[in-house]
Parts: sequence; structure tokens; C-alpha cells
Amino acid sequence: MDYFRPRSVEEAVTLGQSPGAAFLGGGTDLVLQMRQGKVNPQCLIDVHNLAELKEIRRNGDVLELGSMVTFSEVSDSNLLQDSARALWLAGQTMGSPAIRNQATIGGNLGNGSPAADAIPALLALDAEVCLRSQAGEEVISLAVFLERYPLLAPGTLIWKFLVPLRGWQSGFAKLGRRRALAIARLSVAVALKTEGETVMDLRVAFGAVGKRAFLSPALAARFIGRELDVHWRTEMISGSQELVRETLKTRASAPYKAVAVGGVMHQALMLLQE
Amino acid sequence: MNEAVVGTRIEREDGWGKVLGETHFPADVNRPGELYGAVLRSPHAHAHIRSVNVRAAAALPGVVGVFTAENVPHNAHGVLFRDQQVLVSECVRMVGDPIAAVAAETEKIAREAIARVEVDYEILPGLFDPEEAMKPDAPALHPDMHGPSNVLYHLPIRRGDMQAGWTKADVVVEKEYRTQMLDHAFLQPEAVLAYVDERGHLVVKVATQYAHYDRGEIAHALGLKYSQVRVKTMAVGGAFGGREDISLQIIAGLMAWTLRKPIKMENTRTESFLSHSKRHPMRLYYKTGATKDGKLVALEAKIIGDAGAYSSWSPNVVRKAAIHATGPYEIPNVQIDSYAVLTNNPYSGAMRAFGAAQPVLAYESQMDLLAEALGLSPLEMRLRNIFHVGSVTATGQMLTSSVGMAKCLQALTPYLATKGDAS
Amino acid sequence: MNIELRVNEQDFRLVVEPDERLLDVLRNRLGLIGTKEGCGEGECGACTILMDGKAVNSCLVLAAQAVGHELMTIEGVGDRLHPHPLQKSFVELGAVQCGFCTPGMILSAKALLDRNSQPSEEEIKEAMSGNLCRCTGYDKIVKAVQRAAEEVAR
Repeated sequence: MDYFRPRSVEEAVTLGQSPGAAFLGGGTDLVLQMRQGKVNPQCLIDVHNLAELKEIRRNGDVLELGSMVTFSEVSDSNLLQDSARALWLAGQTMGSPAIRNQATIGGNLGNGSPAADAIPALLALDAEVCLRSQAGEEVISLAVFLERYPLLAPGTLIWKFLVPLRGWQSGFAKLGRRRALAIARLSVAVALKTEGETVMDLRVAFGAVGKRAFLSPALAARFIGRELDVHWRTEMISGSQELVRETLKTRASAPYKAVAVGGVMHQALMLLQE
Repeated sequence: MNEAVVGTRIEREDGWGKVLGETHFPADVNRPGELYGAVLRSPHAHAHIRSVNVRAAAALPGVVGVFTAENVPHNAHGVLFRDQQVLVSECVRMVGDPIAAVAAETEKIAREAIARVEVDYEILPGLFDPEEAMKPDAPALHPDMHGPSNVLYHLPIRRGDMQAGWTKADVVVEKEYRTQMLDHAFLQPEAVLAYVDERGHLVVKVATQYAHYDRGEIAHALGLKYSQVRVKTMAVGGAFGGREDISLQIIAGLMAWTLRKPIKMENTRTESFLSHSKRHPMRLYYKTGATKDGKLVALEAKIIGDAGAYSSWSPNVVRKAAIHATGPYEIPNVQIDSYAVLTNNPYSGAMRAFGAAQPVLAYESQMDLLAEALGLSPLEMRLRNIFHVGSVTATGQMLTSSVGMAKCLQALTPYLATKGDAS
Repeated sequence: MNIELRVNEQDFRLVVEPDERLLDVLRNRLGLIGTKEGCGEGECGACTILMDGKAVNSCLVLAAQAVGHELMTIEGVGDRLHPHPLQKSFVELGAVQCGFCTPGMILSAKALLDRNSQPSEEEIKEAMSGNLCRCTGYDKIVKAVQRAAEEVAR
């Protein structure tokens, strides 16, 4: 096996053409999968320390998040706390402090777990993904990107995320089997725009319900243009329960998750910033 | 008794080594020239082994030795009964039963080699429900050692006159309770270093709860004299009962003795889960009667402990469950039957409280239900029946000192009156 | 591959495999056995070390990834003559039982105190949430961190 530590994204992408190449982020998933023999890359391209991939910055109306931003950096960021609260909240509860110090948001996407904590939050925030490969750059909505199978073509590097800054409120909550180090059994992210008491726009995303996190525009549509009051919240909770029941159908987890999502949704709504 | 230390803060002798990272647990010691051992374990719960082919494993470069049942001089161990094999010869009785072991130059090679051992299994239906396994027509799992029945142990306890007891009872509560299997999950997975020292003695460094027993078992299995075997207890990274049985000691000792090379072995967390004992899952059938003034008059209890594939400490554990079946309460008429039953589940053994933990669920739930039926507070129900000095237990033991339950509950009364008491 | 690691303020030149875990290099090549393996998958925290002052699970990091970072293991935290306040308080308050989780606990606590010398109980629990103690000595562990924080503040 070969190991490379490129000094630029360019170089990383070039190295990414090698046969059996895999990009290595924090390693909290990949190192374990290698040890378990689930993946056997012939060449590791360690991009974890690439400065270009580690930036959190505001660029006009857009927040740019490098793919190698760690969950600790997410949860320590005041900028994210104020302007991308759902993601900031996901950063608080993912794994343990030691995992958060290593694990990256790009790795979270690339690993492709249905329970990935950052993904529902980024979906609700309407993030775009910037990819880099030999073919060049590609900017694609995360929601559309998640419909690709396989997710990433060989040699494609997750470069950064673009999160539009629209002054929306957002929240995130997850259900785990214990408080720390729990893989999400369910997660919910909500982002909304209000004028006065009226919900003008809304995005709702779910994690660990099916193979990949997803947005539900149909659910959101029922709640736009209405007053954000106790009825709204109650119906959103029951609406999310119906949605999960329909999505999971006869899966063994359906009876549990279809009820539990109500509590998770409730919590996500409680965590919307004032 | 010297009570000077009670209530004072004593520093652990080994505390400093542990906070400085100096303490040696068995995974932390090595010998020059050591080989690395790994074990092939059965993925099946019940199977007949038709054949084991080790040729491909032995041919792997870096492999120094491959061992199967035929290499073990006396292939048996066990704390009460030697019903467990060091390496299984014919009959697999649980997932995780060891079948072959490899010594190789590196851990990687050893693990690659065990994956190349070919085992031809005839998979048999498993007995996973202890009540099914108790039935007279159930296939016997240990016919040679434990006879035609899977009931490994039965303890009946009888006191008083049940008929009279039920006659006096104004309220009877009858319920079934079940407790789950538990793993100790001690933080340090099993590890061992075995070597032959300059005097020709087999030295086995291990974290164990039972060094003198390990020594006897290693000596027995290898056909050595006790004086030829030394077991050195390293720092024990948690045990909670889970290190009372043999884990890797004999396998490592066998390879070190045969190859005359130091052997290092470490379980992964998964191997640890697969190989050591568990807390007995129990089924507890309770029928308890009380008079309308809240006095217990009769208890009929049937306790079935799932012993799993091997006996380990099962008789002692279910005996303790029976002795504690009344809880700390006076009951004049008692009929308790406690069983340990062999199944194809992971074997059950010692774990904190050793059988006394499981009946708590049953007898305390019964107390709450009786209190509710009688319109008493749960606390009052207990105070009316609690053991005092002079009480006689179900097994006929007269309690003569140190019976603090009533005092303890009374001290809690103010707290319970404000917060804890559901009534 | 050839790598250079900086561990406990010392530089080491090593030859390692590209897929070798930092945990194995620390234990097997550098003899720093105070770093423990409890689960090998980031669940238990026994392998916790500090990388640039932050707690990481050394079972989930490749040795190669640690190049260029400042590493600290339990052996670098203190010694018998100069123990860290955490080491002292863990011994004095009985926060050590079997001791297998202890190095990881102390390093997670050190990462916290270095960043926040006056943590609340909730912050301590959060910082230690990735470290399991199966002897269930959590209460004393939290108290030991509080005691050490007082001493650090003094």
C-alpha cells in the first residue's frame, strides 16, 4: 500500500487517479473499515491536513466549509452557531469529543452512512457540494448529489460545501441509544424562514430513515404559508411520523421509528434559534 | 477485626503505576522471539465437526504451528466439571467454541492462517430455549458428562406448609419475570503471554481472578506437574466474574510448551464477547400470597437459569438465586425450585452478585404488586415483612447479627414520603 | 515507509507500514504501553492520546497521519516526582480502580483543563463522554477532575 500526503488539492486530485486510490480524511471510519477488511485501498491520499480544505469562511451570502473541517471545528464555530445552527448542533452531538476532533464533514458524506450526522443538517440548510476530479470542478445540490449511485466516482474529491446565508432559523436533533458515542438511530433537521409568525419557506430532512438522508419537500409544502403556532408544531410532529411510517413500510425498525421521530422532531423544533 | 480503615481514605497501592501509565496488563508484556497466537472459533451454535483441515494454514509462510484437538494431551477444563474442551474435537455447542489455534510470526499472519483452516461442519438444530431444553425428549447436549437430561442442577427448597399458607392468603399475585443475558465487558480484552523459562517451567502471564485454578487446569490439560507451571497474575483490567473461567491460558500454554517459543495472544473485543461467560438469563415464575394486613404467608417460585453450553459456575449461581428468592423478607411457607439448564447459548458463569441479582426483579416487583392490591404503601409492605435479628430464612438460617434492612428503610422514610413513594 | 513522530516532546524516526495504526506504533514500536486498546473501534476511549492538545482515539488514526503533529501519551503527562494534578487527584480520590481506562480518562481531562481551567460538572462529563469505565467509578473520576481543576487554578 502507498500513502501520500499531497500539498494541494490539484496534487490530491492527480494522485486520486492512481488505481485503488482512496482519499483519507480523519480516518475514524476508513481506518476501521481497512482493519476489518471491508475496504482494501491500494493507495491512501491523506487530505486531512490540506489547508484549502480546512476553511470555514463567509463569502458574501455564502458560507464555505472545506470538506476537512472537523466536527469539533463545526461545534466551536460562532459563525456556524449564528448562521447554520442545524449543522452546529449536529457538531455537538456527533460521536465523542475524540471522534469529533478527527472526523470531518466531508468524510461524513463520503463514508455514505445513512446515519451520518452532518448530512440532514446540510440538506435542510440547502447546501451545495463542490467536487473536484481530473475532469474539473462540479457544484451540485447536496439533495441531488445524494441520488447518485455510487455516490462518488473514483478519483473524485469532496472539496467543500456551500451553504447559502438567508437568515433562516434551523435546528437539528438526533436519537441515539445513549447520550455519547451513539450512532444516530434517527435524526431530523429543520430550516425555516418566517415573516412575523408566518412560515414563508421550510426545508425538513431526515437521517437514518432508509439508505440515505433525504429532504421531504412534500412534507414541508404542507406547512408553508401557515402560522408557526402550537398546531403547526403538533401537525409537523404527526406529519413526520406518517412520513417515516410510509418510508420504512414493513422494515423491522418501522414501528419504533415511526413513533420516535415525533420526539426527535419536537426536539429539533425546540432547538430552532430564537 | 481491625476496623481502623473503615471510613478513612486509603490510597491504592497500585494507583500511581496506573495513573502514570506504567502498569503492566498482560497485553503490555512481551518476550524476545515471541510468536503471535490466534484462535479459530465456531460461527455455529451446534454442530458436529466432520473434519478439520489445517494444510493451507500450515503452508502459509510465517506460520510456525497449527493446533487442533488432537494436539491437546488432556482436552478438558472447567471450574466445577471439566466439560469444556481446550480445542473442540467433535461437538460444537456454542458460537465461539475454539476449534484450532495458530502460532505465527506476526498477528496478521496468524489471523490470515486461521481463516485458511477448513472445518467441515454438520450443522445441528440448536437448543436456545431453556424450557425446551428441559423437556425429557430434548436432545442431551452433554450425554457423557451430564447424562440424558439437560437439567444440570436442581435445588428444591421447602419450608412450612404450602396448603396452610395459601389458605391464609387474602391476596395472591402470580407473575412471570425474565432477565436478559449480560456481558461483563471488562475494559481490557483477554490477553496472555506464555513461555518456557530458564528452569524449564511453563510461565503463563495473564489477568485472571483465579491463578491457582488456572495453574491446575493448564497442568492437567498439558499433562504437566503443578510444579512445572507458573501462573503470574498481571494487572487485571476489570473482571466482574468474567475472568474466573479459562480463556486463552491453556491454548497459549500448549503452543508455548510444544514450540518452546513465547506465545502472545490478545482477544479483539469481538473475540472477547464470543469466548467468555455471561450473566445467566433467568426466568422467574413467582406466586406470592399475603394476608390483608400485609404479612407474607406463602411463596412458590420456579427459577430457570440458562446455563448455556457449559456448566462453569451454574450450579452455584442458581443455588444462590434460590437462597435469595424470598428477598430480605420473612415468608413462613416456601416452595422454591431453581434449575440450571444446558442450552446452545453462550455459557453462563460468574458475574457480580452471582445469581443474587436476578431474583430482585421478581421479589421486589411482587412486593409492589401486593402493596398495590392491599392498598399499602410499598414501603409499609416491606417494613411489615423485613428480616430482623431472629428471622429465619427459607433455608432455615436464623439471622443473629448485622441485619440492617429495617433501620435502613426507616432512615429513608422521610425521603420516600416526599419524593420516592409512588403511593 | 519512513516517518518522523514527535511524542512527549521527543522526536522519533520510524519505519512503519502505511496502514499501521498510531496505537500500534506507540505501543509496539515506541514501547509506550500506557496507551491501551479496549475495543479497537473508537467506542471505549482507552487509547485516547493528545494530538496538538486535542484528544483523539489512537486506534482510529494512522501513524502516518500523526506526522507533523505534537503527540502526548500518558507517559508524557507526568512522572513520580512531578505528577500532573490530575494524576495526583485520581490517586488521592480513588478515581482509579482496575486502571485500564485511567490513561485515557486523564488525557481527555487534560485536554479539557488545558482549554478550560474552571469546567462545570456538565462540561467535565461531556469531555469524558467518550471514555468508558466498566468498574463504574464515574463519580469519583468527575470529582478527581474537579479537584485537579482547583489545583490548576491555584
